Amino acid sequence: MRSEYETIIVGGGVIGNSIACHLAEKRQEGILLIEQKYPLTGTSGSTQAWVWVHTKTPAYYGEFSMYSSELYPYLERRIGDVEFHRTGGLAPFFSEAERERAKRLAESQAEVGIEIQVLTRDEVLAMEPALSPEVAGATFSRIDGNVNPLRLVEMYMRTAKKHGVEYLYYNRVTNLEKRQGSFVVQSKKGRFTAKNLILCAGVWSREVGKMLGVNIPIDPVRGQILITEPLAPLLNHTISSMRQTLNGEVLIGYSHERAGFDRSSTLDIMQNTASMAARYVPALARAHVVRCFSGIRAMPEDELPILGKVPGVEHLYVAAMHSGITLSPLVGTLMTELITEGDTSIPIDRYSIARFA
Amino acid sequence: MDTSTILCRCEEITAEEIQLALQQGAESFDDVKRLTRCGMGQCQAKICRIPVSQYIADCRTIHVSTVPLPRLRMPLRPIPIGVLAARMDSALAENALLAEAEQHQGSKAEGGEAGEK
Repeated sequence: MRSEYETIIVGGGVIGNSIACHLAEKRQEGILLIEQKYPLTGTSGSTQAWVWVHTKTPAYYGEFSMYSSELYPYLERRIGDVEFHRTGGLAPFFSEAERERAKRLAESQAEVGIEIQVLTRDEVLAMEPALSPEVAGATFSRIDGNVNPLRLVEMYMRTAKKHGVEYLYYNRVTNLEKRQGSFVVQSKKGRFTAKNLILCAGVWSREVGKMLGVNIPIDPVRGQILITEPLAPLLNHTISSMRQTLNGEVLIGYSHERAGFDRSSTLDIMQNTASMAARYVPALARAHVVRCFSGIRAMPEDELPILGKVPGVEHLYVAAMHSGITLSPLVGTLMTELITEGDTSIPIDRYSIARFA
Repeated sequence: MDTSTILCRCEEITAEEIQLALQQGAESFDDVKRLTRCGMGQCQAKICRIPVSQYIADCRTIHVSTVPLPRLRMPLRPIPIGVLAARMDSALAENALLAEAEQHQGSKAEGGEAGEK
């Protein structure tokens, strides 16, 4: 194995793999991706993987998410079946007071081209008959959907490998430094150098950034999810707390807790989640839970993506965010433009790490 | 063992599929699980854990004791959602998605990306 590369990507989650795949598709050579464990061990493998847009705010962030969602069909044609389904997304509400809030959301999102319908109780029940008759209404948008995150990361990785990207797994990075115009990456399996360094360490970004004296303000947030046994088709849409997979399992969860890097499942959250499931979809009360899991999500200080060049360190890039599944097609595209052409086709200034300085 | 032998009965995963995952760089049961769905079915690896771990060890020519155990999670046997939910006050069990969306809308005044082009 060689030791000098054009580009080294630190982190093999959905973002690192998407960037590797997009860069390699643009014929960049000499790419090495370093992953501390194996892809899907961390955040990207423990998610419901909604491709979710319509409630994303501020509106400019909703717009950014929409562009990414719209890239999915084209991405899937290139990298292969990732079980992307534009199911449409429903965010149910249970009181009339919420309707005003829903209308305000629909109005402000319309300004950036995200179409949201505010549904009456009868309309939402006609579209999603399994929902509780107690529902008061819902916001609905066609733009939302979901994807199989395991397939997605695997297909990014396979495509990247097909185009020559090299991978090192179970290879924790122990030190990073910039020396004479190139980055020196010290890792468990050896020392490598590269002209470009891209930090895609998600929830581990703080730790990785520190090695280069860069503050990447991202903290872990735990999300717990219940999985049911495979059920007959029950849900038609991606609902803002659950979705049904192709093989019939329903994934349910909307918890977020500050629990550091602890990935335990806890009974109180499982009970809350079960209760929410039965409240939203009464028929689920009879479904068996076969497993729960817990993922730690990357949460930037202001909850928005951290994307682009790192000011003051030439050829250093960062791409770390919440909602990496939704954003990965666009982030892969834009980061590739930035690295190969020096600029992006749509502005990403708002997401610059410079905003934290 | 034939490569068509099914090692995970719930998801019908064969030895060959596990081999392919190992060729992709997977090392542990959980790595293989995420690529193949082996162990993700009804039994949650209670039946396939030993044969699959042994097979991984054989393919990688290491001892089975060094193949990390798959992560076990609650519940240990399937349990109805209604039973888990029984103690909770369901009226509180709503997510606050729309409220959160509104909270973040605050910075909207800065204008959208479309305006910057």
